[in-house]
Amino acid sequence: MDPGEGDEALLARVAAGDPAAVRSLVARKLPRLLALAGRMLGETAEAEDVAQETFIRAWKQAGNWKPGGARFDTWLHRVALNLCYDRLRRRREVAMDNPPDLADDAPGPDRGLQARDVGRRVAAAMAALPDRQREAVSLCHYQEVTNIEAAALMGVSIEALESLLSRGRRALRVALSDMIEP
Amino acid sequence: MTPQRFEILAQAYGGDVARWPSAEREAAGAMMIEQPDLAAAALARAGELDALMDAWTPVPVSHALRERVIAAAPPPRARNGIIAWFWGAGLGAGLAAACAAGLVVGVEISNVAQPDESVSAALDGYDDLTTDLTGDGA
Repeated sequence: MDPGEGDEALLARVAAGDPAAVRSLVARKLPRLLALAGRMLGETAEAEDVAQETFIRAWKQAGNWKPGGARFDTWLHRVALNLCYDRLRRRREVAMDNPPDLADDAPGPDRGLQARDVGRRVAAAMAALPDRQREAVSLCHYQEVTNIEAAALMGVSIEALESLLSRGRRALRVALSDMIEP
Repeated sequence: MTPQRFEILAQAYGGDVARWPSAEREAAGAMMIEQPDLAAAALARAGELDALMDAWTPVPVSHALRERVIAAAPPPRARNGIIAWFWGAGLGAGLAAACAAGLVVGVEISNVAQPDESVSAALDGYDDLTTDLTGDGA
């Protein structure tokens, strides 16, 4: 894999039926897409389905990709986020019919703060955020996309993005306050 | 940049100024020089949360998922497909067939090419005939 090769050049080779380009593009993009879907959905099997479906759409799009238009990475994120929102909507519909038992994710008195537990606590706190806040935090903190790209992906202004980020991070701080020194 | 704006940015983007909007970084750097205590406190608060958030590591890509995604990709072009088939599935079968054929031919040749007096005699006769045809015969 040529790390300097742009996404569009790689995509053109994919469209031409180059198996090496397919593997390169998957190696480059799949971990990021799976991570995004995992952050948004908090569930591995569903995240894998979203990542796979995103790539299926990318393969269909490969031959029609117009160079110089939207960035391929941005397009992939948009597709993946739309698929995540479809699933989140379906979950809400199911949840209204079958309200889940709420688990207490706070550590008990005899429960030490193992490193693995911290990750679980963060995952639970992220899952409890409103979808748009979780999306903003996922894009800016975890996916490390620029604020301009994140705002464009979410269809909001920079100010609105910053508000979502601030509220999301404040909620995380509250949820994890027992792990933060006063 | 005002101290309030610095605080807002730290709350939104976290404690690493390198991850802040590029248009704000220079002014943020100036704020860190002008009001180091205020800036350091804001960044440290945000950084604590960053560190906790980073404890949630993403699920690694499984081999099965990677192969499913690759299998759904556009098929190789026809020429590439033939080459791929040949080098993949075809080559093994081809080599096996070639080995088997070589064995059979080798056995046949060995049967035919045994030293034989009649063959030697025939060849001697052929040499004589050739000589006669060229008119150089004695």
